[in-house]
Amino acid sequence: MSAYVLPDTAEGVTTASTRRLKSVRLGPVSFRLNVRTLGLIGIAFAALVLFSSWALTLGSFPVPVSGVINSVLGRGSDEYDFIVRTLRLPRLLAALMVGAALGMSGAIFQGLVRNPLVSPDIIGINQGATAVAVFWIVTGQPVGMLAPVAFAGATVTALLVYVLSWRGGVAPSRLVLVGIGINAVAAAGTTYILVKYPIERVGSAVAWSAGSVYASTWDDVAILSIALLILTPLAAILMWHLRILQFGDDTAASLGLPVEPTRLLLVLVGCGCSAIAVSLAGPIGFVALMVPHIARMLGGAMTGSVLILTAILGALLLLASDVVGQHFLPVSMPVGVVTAVVGAPYFLFLLYRANARL
Amino acid sequence: MTRLETRDLTLAYDGPPVVDGLTLDLPDGQVTSIIGPNGCGKSTLLRALARLNRPTSGAAVLDGEAVHRQPTKEVARRLGLLPQGAQAPDAITVEDLVRRGRFPHQSFFTPPTDADQIAVNRALELAGVEHLRNRAVDELSGGQRQRAWIAMSLAQETSLLLLDEPTTYLDIAHQEEVLELIRYLNEHEGKTIAMVLHDVNEAARYSDHVIAMRNGAVVALGTPAEVINPDTVQAVFGVSTEVITDPHTGAPVCLPCGDESTAACRMADDCPIALAAHDLTLAYDKRIVSAGLDVNLPEGVITAIIGPNACGKSTLLRALSRLLSPRAGQVLLGEDCVRDLGRRGFAQRVGLLPQAPAPPMDVTVEELVASGRAPYQRWWRQWSDEDETTVEAALKATGMVEFRDRTIDALSGGQRQRAWLAMALARRTPVMLLDEPTTYLDIAHQVDVLDLVRALNTREHTTVVMVLHDLSQACRYADNLVVMKDGEIVATGHPSEVVTADLVRSVFGVEASVVTEPVTGRPLVFPRNAVNGRYRNAIIEVAPDEEAAPVAEPVLSGAN
Repeated sequence: MSAYVLPDTAEGVTTASTRRLKSVRLGPVSFRLNVRTLGLIGIAFAALVLFSSWALTLGSFPVPVSGVINSVLGRGSDEYDFIVRTLRLPRLLAALMVGAALGMSGAIFQGLVRNPLVSPDIIGINQGATAVAVFWIVTGQPVGMLAPVAFAGATVTALLVYVLSWRGGVAPSRLVLVGIGINAVAAAGTTYILVKYPIERVGSAVAWSAGSVYASTWDDVAILSIALLILTPLAAILMWHLRILQFGDDTAASLGLPVEPTRLLLVLVGCGCSAIAVSLAGPIGFVALMVPHIARMLGGAMTGSVLILTAILGALLLLASDVVGQHFLPVSMPVGVVTAVVGAPYFLFLLYRANARL
Repeated sequence: MTRLETRDLTLAYDGPPVVDGLTLDLPDGQVTSIIGPNGCGKSTLLRALARLNRPTSGAAVLDGEAVHRQPTKEVARRLGLLPQGAQAPDAITVEDLVRRGRFPHQSFFTPPTDADQIAVNRALELAGVEHLRNRAVDELSGGQRQRAWIAMSLAQETSLLLLDEPTTYLDIAHQEEVLELIRYLNEHEGKTIAMVLHDVNEAARYSDHVIAMRNGAVVALGTPAEVINPDTVQAVFGVSTEVITDPHTGAPVCLPCGDESTAACRMADDCPIALAAHDLTLAYDKRIVSAGLDVNLPEGVITAIIGPNACGKSTLLRALSRLLSPRAGQVLLGEDCVRDLGRRGFAQRVGLLPQAPAPPMDVTVEELVASGRAPYQRWWRQWSDEDETTVEAALKATGMVEFRDRTIDALSGGQRQRAWLAMALARRTPVMLLDEPTTYLDIAHQVDVLDLVRALNTREHTTVVMVLHDLSQACRYADNLVVMKDGEIVATGHPSEVVTADLVRSVFGVEASVVTEPVTGRPLVFPRNAVNGRYRNAIIEVAPDEEAAPVAEPVLSGAN
């Protein structure tokens, strides 16, 4: 009669580790990893390396793959070294890291808000950076300070969104609505500046706001590397907490998770990724929105390892877009234009196909 | 010949048929209830009768003509439908809402006439919401709001009225309020009524004709006395029940059989206190919900917190689970003040199943259950052997092993609730708090969940505190009741001591008789102020202390 008897032991039950998840243990440290996701990360990373090597050969002065590899490894000839290491490599690395940062930022915000249609570009972070950067350019301030100023713009916008959404806690849906409001204000501000200032100065501001990794330097690469070295592990760790947070605030709190501090930390890391990308490359749309979708389609629900996959796919997508914009169009296009042209229809296609899931 | 019937009706939503080849009559001038488990096609059938679904084949027939071949307005002049969980635009007044019921009788070129206003007034009067006519619908209580909606259907002046789950989300008093009105409309206005109900006993008490469905087909139909018997209920809901006859109304009452072997009566008095509240003041912003609450919850016992809607029972549970910090007073867990315990320390000792939790849809059952181990884990220590065995045991104990790789959105309501219970189980906390674990579930799933809670309590000696809104379930499954009204605790103790007709009247505002169930010795509550008309003569006043009078002896017509 009694249908539910609690078993004393779990004998004779297939264990999870033999099925899907692999527990990796080292003393007190243990991780649960999905073998398939690790495989995907490996494949994506190999694809990234191959594609990058090929991308470095492209240009008005073709360099053979062997030359590229030798130069990158520091044993190349001088003629190739200048082209590969000084001209092409910084741009390539910047594209990769900007793509990775955008991908992670999108994954964090989509998880936080539990809405797959959210990304940092929608809640005003890119637009905030753009407004400040455009003002900086048209008023003729020193160009060297542009990146830090854009970063400040992105961060201040993010904090403003967070503070205005706070009402004894941040409800994700309110965060989105406030973000859309701030986005509109920042967009209006940008338009105002563009209309008010003389046309010759506006030109370069408009170019910046298209989003591009053109003319990236080793300094940019250094800044990006440091930022990502800090943000990537932090984001991967926070995915563990985010997963619990997604069960709802009450459940998460009752599971012993500090709900609001965790949420603040996630917002900070997400904004950090987005701000660093926008400050160095300008506002590049659609990558943050699109890449987490692709990663989830391949790797399943967002976990730390799927986040790494997201970062690699983001890097791949941005690099591919940059290669297309630079070499395969009649006129060289900034990468932001390419991601929008490719991204928007692809995204519509995704929506159409995954209709039932949204 | 009846006015409304179905002929070989097949209904589907892009897939296998939900209702397959159904032929039945809805008798004129009677109240018909359609019952069945969640997803059996009863709401779909009702919608097809009201021309909201187009049949794949066959037809719903109104006055000898297929409903879907008649114009909408034409159907609406003869048949009114109250959909499930109807939503009014904000701040619309009751009268405005009711006026919309006149729509089928108007057109763009014929503005509202005096006849319309007369019909509106009459509908307001009939539904007993005349005094509320200028109030906004969203300010009303659940029962009043449902009556306002019924008034809207009445303004349509149709002799056929279809209602989809008119009592869901309402507490017992409001349920009676609505069902009484429905009965009245049938008896005094001659309306033919068909309604989908998910409570079998409501259907038994308030209808003349019952249609029991399962998997899109009719299992049984006839008078309540013919349909409500252990075999039919077993066939329809897959749950074993006893059916007794309510001594006062003659209506059959269906009592799901819990796990009797474990339902032993345990006295709460001699147990140590697991969780206690002292002089607790609870408030949201400025609104004080409760002041000066004192309650002791005994260890190893199932306590149910009961009371009408908005009596502060969920608020108390939130305070006990540390989700709401008290304005004053304190919550004690054993010897420790809850406020001084660390977040994780508390989470290892007290588990919570919130009301209607909404996890992301792509979570698998196994992941959900595994997250119950979070209080014992860190991001760098994500999995241990103990986690593994506990999760497996929890999946097994709840019968969820076969569903482990399913995502939450692919589960039925009952399975979903079981998955959440498995998660709570995986936490291995000595105390478990449950907020309305049976809401939104049909009777079979309700019994399922409560039996599981009972098994957990018996085997693991877990202290369970749950908020319930069904009085009979609380009496049946709890060893200790905490009865609340208007933010105050009115009574505590074993159901057999606490639940009396006086208490039910003063707390829920419902006249009811309370009798002792012969098998378990626990009280049974029969609401009865609603039994107008034919059953009136059968009502015998029973003083709460004289339950043992022979008339109150329930008649066992069958046990499983």
